[in-house]
Amino acid sequence: MSKIVEISPTTRHEGHSKLVLKVDDQGIIERGDWLSITPVRGVEKLAIGKTMEQVPKIASRVCGICPIAHTLAATEAMEASIGVHIPKDAKHLRVILQCANRLHSIALHNILILPDFYLPGTEKKINPFSPEEPVRSVAKRIQRLREIGQTIGQIAGGEAIHPSNTRVGGMYRNVSPLAKKKMYDLAKEGLVLAHEQMDLMIAIIRNMQKRDWTEVGGKQIPLPKTLGYHNQGYMAVDPVYGSSSLDECPRWDPTRFMETRPWDWYMGEGEVTLADASYPIGGTSPVGTKVNPQMEACTGVPMYDGQPVEVGPRARLVNFKNYDEKGTWGQHVARQLEYTDSLYAMIKAIDELNPDGKVLADHIPQGDGTLGWAANEAPRGTDVHLSKVKDGRVQYFSMLVPTTWNFATCSRALTGAPWQVAELVVRGYDPCVSCATHMIVVDDEKRIVAQKLIQ
Amino acid sequence: MGTELGNYKAVCSARSTDKDILKRAQDGGIVTQLFTFALEEGFIDGAIVSGPGEEPWRPRPFVAMCKEDLLKARGTKYNLSPNVSFIKEATRSFGLDKIGIVGTPCQMQAIRKGQLYPMGLRDVDDKIALAIGIFCMENFSYQSIVQLVEDHAGQKMESVKKMEIGKGKFWIYTDRGAVVQLPLKVTHKYEQPGCHVCLDYVANLADISTGSVGSPDGWSTVFARSTSGQTLWDKAVAAGCFEMKPIEQVKPGLELVSKLANEKINKNRKTLEERASFGVGKGLRSPYI
Repeated sequence: MSKIVEISPTTRHEGHSKLVLKVDDQGIIERGDWLSITPVRGVEKLAIGKTMEQVPKIASRVCGICPIAHTLAATEAMEASIGVHIPKDAKHLRVILQCANRLHSIALHNILILPDFYLPGTEKKINPFSPEEPVRSVAKRIQRLREIGQTIGQIAGGEAIHPSNTRVGGMYRNVSPLAKKKMYDLAKEGLVLAHEQMDLMIAIIRNMQKRDWTEVGGKQIPLPKTLGYHNQGYMAVDPVYGSSSLDECPRWDPTRFMETRPWDWYMGEGEVTLADASYPIGGTSPVGTKVNPQMEACTGVPMYDGQPVEVGPRARLVNFKNYDEKGTWGQHVARQLEYTDSLYAMIKAIDELNPDGKVLADHIPQGDGTLGWAANEAPRGTDVHLSKVKDGRVQYFSMLVPTTWNFATCSRALTGAPWQVAELVVRGYDPCVSCATHMIVVDDEKRIVAQKLIQ
Repeated sequence: MGTELGNYKAVCSARSTDKDILKRAQDGGIVTQLFTFALEEGFIDGAIVSGPGEEPWRPRPFVAMCKEDLLKARGTKYNLSPNVSFIKEATRSFGLDKIGIVGTPCQMQAIRKGQLYPMGLRDVDDKIALAIGIFCMENFSYQSIVQLVEDHAGQKMESVKKMEIGKGKFWIYTDRGAVVQLPLKVTHKYEQPGCHVCLDYVANLADISTGSVGSPDGWSTVFARSTSGQTLWDKAVAAGCFEMKPIEQVKPGLELVSKLANEKINKNRKTLEERASFGVGKGLRSPYI
């Protein structure tokens, strides 16, 4: 008979989420539900009536890890709605900013996942002050990579977190020739470190892939060879940057998108019937805890062509580089491969950047209420923002963020794994949950959302 | 001597040896010369200075990264130039790792406060390499200067060559040779009210502070205050950038600086005391207590 186990909260990722798992007698997951329990931000409602300049700034505040992706997606959604094309030097600055964001995000994720893997030595944390090698130099290298990413981000974008330099129609200012050299120097230094770090990470992941078991809470848990496999599709719009409705051939289609409500997707009411106090960070929820994923989930379930899809590094590699490795390990390897990709793309953009070039469009229309969308390839996947701008004011704004796409897909990928390693699968998606607490579209006439939530 | 001159390691009277700099300098060309030297020696990557703005005599802060840029910013403009507002941007799109900045005593206070509590100044606090402060009795808004020049002095802003406060008067020199002097009594009501709570005349918190008071015409009094300021000053003098005289040998000397500093402090203390009892049972807080 199947039992229910709940891991709440899940750890070593951004935001608050939990796992409700239906497992068989051997502890193998029959059905997994991974859901966000972060309170709704309400950014999309806040945006209504604000100026098109304000909204990208507000949107970036949804989270501090990929604010750059949100700023760029929101700014470009406004630009797509009003129909303004930005000068090419502004585009180069945005690409630099995008790559800087991706670089420091991958490095941050390394810190979060490394304790799941086997590094020689006794040190369990990625600690730069540890006297022990190699953890000390690995931690220092990760820190330096993050520093490089953030410094380049703050030169190109004005600020590493919540960039101030982007604006509707381009950028506020171009960089000086000295700043261009500084970005170059940093990127060159980063490239060497990124190669080293990528090689190390791939070696560690491959080592893990060969193992038959891993230790969780003092027990040996078997690792299936198909850990994290799923049969859903992949969605990505660009290997590096993104796409918008202004493009000649837009690579995303709003008509193929639809959103399912959580109560049509997740498990209904239940009660925890299996608990393990030795599970890391305080054990799982005690037996008898009531669970109700349908009502607790704070996200909608977005579908593309009627199915959940995976977004993120592997989706980009699958769609644009014929990458074909499935499962959690394949996902980790794909992310490491983006280390150097992001730096090569950044160096190319710095090369092409003219510090004397103009970075603001000559004419910025105020908009007529047309729907515009922009999809940005954030570190964790495709971040789509949709907007309607009329007379400089935002009438409609919606964010379809990477981890929202991944919630449903990852839930499917949990099936078949021992429940103790479910978090390993979740971390493979590098979840960033804050922004994924997507406010569901309210049907004003039928009040469907409101009714359900009030019940 | 009391504390009115702040802490300093050395004081002297000096002027630049560079003819280009002296040509349109306010006094001894100290700030322009020091920044030029610091730029050439790699002590700073660039300097935030008050360059020409959109209207005549309205300064606009900008980041000077070569001598030509610095020369554009020579001379005192007696109204507000928000140089500190550029300090973050200088480390961002300008890519500076070692910033030079010039400002009034209150701006020096803002910079040091920003270094102590870098709120909203991420990665900026460790990049301020050289802060040059200028002596300041009070400042004016741009509208006040327009009023003084155009109405009181009867001159067009565009044709003004130099403005100066000295010998108890506000002096206006024009391109065609007219010289107008306004008694300071006239200018008092145009001063910024905010300046009347400031107890710092000689930029106590700068690395190097300078101003004309205490030195003969065409020369400036220079205080080297911090260790880095002293080092830079010594190097600049050794490199022949400045002519130097001991302050004891020049007229009117340090006594006048002390006198004016005390005058400012005593006058503004009164404003502070008045403000402490301002309103009904709810005095305004003194920023210095």
